Amino acid sequence: MTIEMFEKPLGMRDDFPSIAKQKAQLRKRGTEQIERAGYELLQTPTLEYYETIGKISAISDDALFKLLDSQGKTLVLRPDMTSPIARVAASKLLREKMPIRLGYYSNVFRAQKREGGRPAEFEQMGVELIGDDSLYADAEVISLAWDILQELGIRSGRIVIGHARLLELILADFGLNTEQSENVQELFVAKNGVGFEQLAQQLPVPEHKQPSFRKLMQATTVSDWKPWINEENEEQQKLYRDMERLEKLLGQNGLGDAMTFDLSFSSHMTYYTGLVFEFYGAGSGFPLGSGGRYDGLLEKFGLQVGATGFGLRVDRLIETLSVEEPQEPHTLILFDEQSEQIAFDKAKQLRAEGKRVTLQFAPAVKALEQFSELFTKVIRGEELRNG
Amino acid sequence: MDELTIAMPKGRIFEEAYELLVGAGYDLPKELDDSRKLIVEAPKERIRFILAKPMDVPTYVEHGVADIGIAGKDVLLEHDRDVHELLDLGISACYIATAGLPNTEMNEVTPRIATKYPAVASHYYRSKGEQVEIIELNGSIELAPLIGLSDRIVDIVSTGRTLKDNGLVEYEKIVDITSRLIANPVSYRLKQQRITELVDKLREQVTR
Repeated sequence: MTIEMFEKPLGMRDDFPSIAKQKAQLRKRGTEQIERAGYELLQTPTLEYYETIGKISAISDDALFKLLDSQGKTLVLRPDMTSPIARVAASKLLREKMPIRLGYYSNVFRAQKREGGRPAEFEQMGVELIGDDSLYADAEVISLAWDILQELGIRSGRIVIGHARLLELILADFGLNTEQSENVQELFVAKNGVGFEQLAQQLPVPEHKQPSFRKLMQATTVSDWKPWINEENEEQQKLYRDMERLEKLLGQNGLGDAMTFDLSFSSHMTYYTGLVFEFYGAGSGFPLGSGGRYDGLLEKFGLQVGATGFGLRVDRLIETLSVEEPQEPHTLILFDEQSEQIAFDKAKQLRAEGKRVTLQFAPAVKALEQFSELFTKVIRGEELRNG
Repeated sequence: MDELTIAMPKGRIFEEAYELLVGAGYDLPKELDDSRKLIVEAPKERIRFILAKPMDVPTYVEHGVADIGIAGKDVLLEHDRDVHELLDLGISACYIATAGLPNTEMNEVTPRIATKYPAVASHYYRSKGEQVEIIELNGSIELAPLIGLSDRIVDIVSTGRTLKDNGLVEYEKIVDITSRLIANPVSYRLKQQRITELVDKLREQVTR
């Protein structure tokens, strides 16, 4: 009896050989860069406790795959890599070695409510730099992500950079309380310009500050942020100077024209406390990756250190890079009972030379002609016997 | 100059949106609407139009096959797509409201609501603390209370004519609706200059 259930659960995908191969190459090229930058790769478990990782991860509850273990505790399939790595970093082993540089290439799981086009399981690669709260750490991870995108050959790459803390301070300066500030930020996350304009009318922003307030979504360079910075607020001054230096640093690292500094850029990942950024490229309608500074997250594991990092979406990178690779040399040796030994020896010899060889017993193939077309070179048993 | 792909809704909103674009100085082919083509090029402006069902516009834009689109707020509320809402075009103004037969109360045990907007209706009644059963229909929603399928309907009201002609009355207004200019988040960043230019030109038209 054949199985009737050919369907896969919503959002699950098969990687056919050509995609699997592309992914393997991408993984190799990406992780090599990560290691060369001094990061160590690690792997965390697929299953984590709901109470810790599930709640900390900032992925909405209904996007978590939940299951029960034999003791009745709720587990989740890891929805992101940042929180498990924070958990690992906070463990005794690594505490003394700060700052630590960790990298990963892992699959993560996020349940999808809607129809196709959105995978529920996908691979991410990225890094976390933990225990360094300087600007240079931020510049380092952004540059590394950028280098990986360049190495992979992304066209029209672009990075958008915002600052969660600075935005919070500036919104407070406009006279907004916490709730109003959160409402505004929610609209910023959705980039809802219409909603923002409507809300602006109802907020207690003084009349003379209204024009400046309404421009919050329009900045593209750090100098555009200047009018919002309070001259008397030291923290704002410092953060603004940091951003100026970051712009310069990244400019020197070749990101010059590719940067957009948008103060209203916010992430739905609520654990970011400083810099937030997102990468885009031609060929995908969705962001290629994102990241930022998340000093508060490690506090939840009892560690008072700064941390920053990025994650790139492998599925979307593949989408933007979908160029047909030329077929690699692949030899087929078709043998029969008389040429069995000589075929085995030939395959062994060619493989030792580094060639890719498929060995196939000819009578077992039903459509010999079509099968042979899959290979760049075909050697038949009788040819071998005749030398 | 980057090429822009714009998803336009066929039908009710189309003409007003077309007028707006022409008013904003875009040189568009005249036969845009009456042809049966689904893709129309405006080579002078380096714009390509996709003519889509209004409900589908945000889908095209979310997936990035269209850079920008024109969509009713009703569709945006119903589907909650990941798109940027750039400008209120102020066209095709109407609102979503609840309606039913005059002088009727909702069934206490299982109040039933027929609608084309299940998410909007469900959100509305939940925010009022009422538990209702939503019945999704695809058109002629007014039929539902007349033949006893539902106590109330949640639907678009523009002139109120259809309600009146069918002997229904409006009960509560839920939300005002106009058409919006929406953009794909990636296109918005990669083609920011062209899109901002378009937004500014349209804004001028809208506020005039």
